[in-house]
Amino acid sequence: MVREVSESCIDSLLTEMVACYCNRFYANKPELAARRIEAIGYQVGHQLSERYTMDRPRFTDHLEAIKFICKDFWSELFKKQIDNLKTNHRGTFVLQDNKFRWLARMSIDPSTENVSPVEDITSPTAESKAAQAMSMHLYFPCGIIRGALSNLGIPCAVSADISNLPACVYLSLSHNLEKTF
Amino acid sequence: MQFFGGSEISPSPPAPTASGNNGHMMYVFNRNGVCLLYREWNRPLRTLDAQQDQKLMFGLLFSLKSLTAKMDPTSAVEKGNLGMPQLPGQGCSFHSFRTNTYKLSFMESPSGIKIILVTHPRTGDLRESLKYIYNLYVEYVVKNPLYTPGSPIRCELFNTTLDQYVRGIS
Repeated sequence: MVREVSESCIDSLLTEMVACYCNRFYANKPELAARRIEAIGYQVGHQLSERYTMDRPRFTDHLEAIKFICKDFWSELFKKQIDNLKTNHRGTFVLQDNKFRWLARMSIDPSTENVSPVEDITSPTAESKAAQAMSMHLYFPCGIIRGALSNLGIPCAVSADISNLPACVYLSLSHNLEKTF
Repeated sequence: MQFFGGSEISPSPPAPTASGNNGHMMYVFNRNGVCLLYREWNRPLRTLDAQQDQKLMFGLLFSLKSLTAKMDPTSAVEKGNLGMPQLPGQGCSFHSFRTNTYKLSFMESPSGIKIILVTHPRTGDLRESLKYIYNLYVEYVVKNPLYTPGSPIRCELFNTTLDQYVRGIS
């Protein structure tokens, strides 16, 4: 039996979660908002990795666990696999998604903004506002991946970069090999 | 588009070529009459400033809705006076009118979103096309986390997709 959830409900819930932390709970503390959103993602990832590895044997090494994240885990969450996985063989991996589902609808129209000299000084432009909002929206998936890998025995740090729209996202994982041996 | 009576009657414009652009302009209003989007592709004649034009367009649609509902010969419901606002879904609704120089097509969603598309006069039935455009609005505007409901639409993805679609309407 396959259980399904309306994608629109998830999309709206994610949008509202980020909006609440950024515009209400921590309106003037973006760093705190980011940490809270990432912590929520960590908990969600922790639980999801338990769920999605239910029928699998244990991973024999870290690369196998990370490949699981790139293929099965990513497909469950974002309906497609990671497009590219790179590593420096010293604990750092870069996962590239050329059309990240959760940013695919994010859009402004810079050509219609009235950017006056005064506005330039007193407030960020529409483009930088959009960039800020996008990075806020990425803390949740970063937390999910960190939580999933921590639950699979790989404590790590995860960060994200956006290349262009429609969103091309690079997630960078790094963990300390010495600590795990 | 000329709302007030010029005595000159212009002949119909030539039919567009196969690859030509058949759309003239498009408006999107919300329930409160706020113009969320004005998009223009071919509009040689302009008589009002943008704000007045949008108010006049909204008023035209409001009156046409009211008029067509009051004229409905099949409805036995008490209709009240002309111009009295109707409840959502009450009464019949119109979907287009045509003149010798253009055709205006109209669609309203249950949430009160109104989409108006003005095209070449020989354009066919656009009801399905307007539904598709409404679908684009839901996918690219409503689902955009950066969009605030009720504010003018500034979504590059929506504008690009809309332009491509309207270009193909014939």
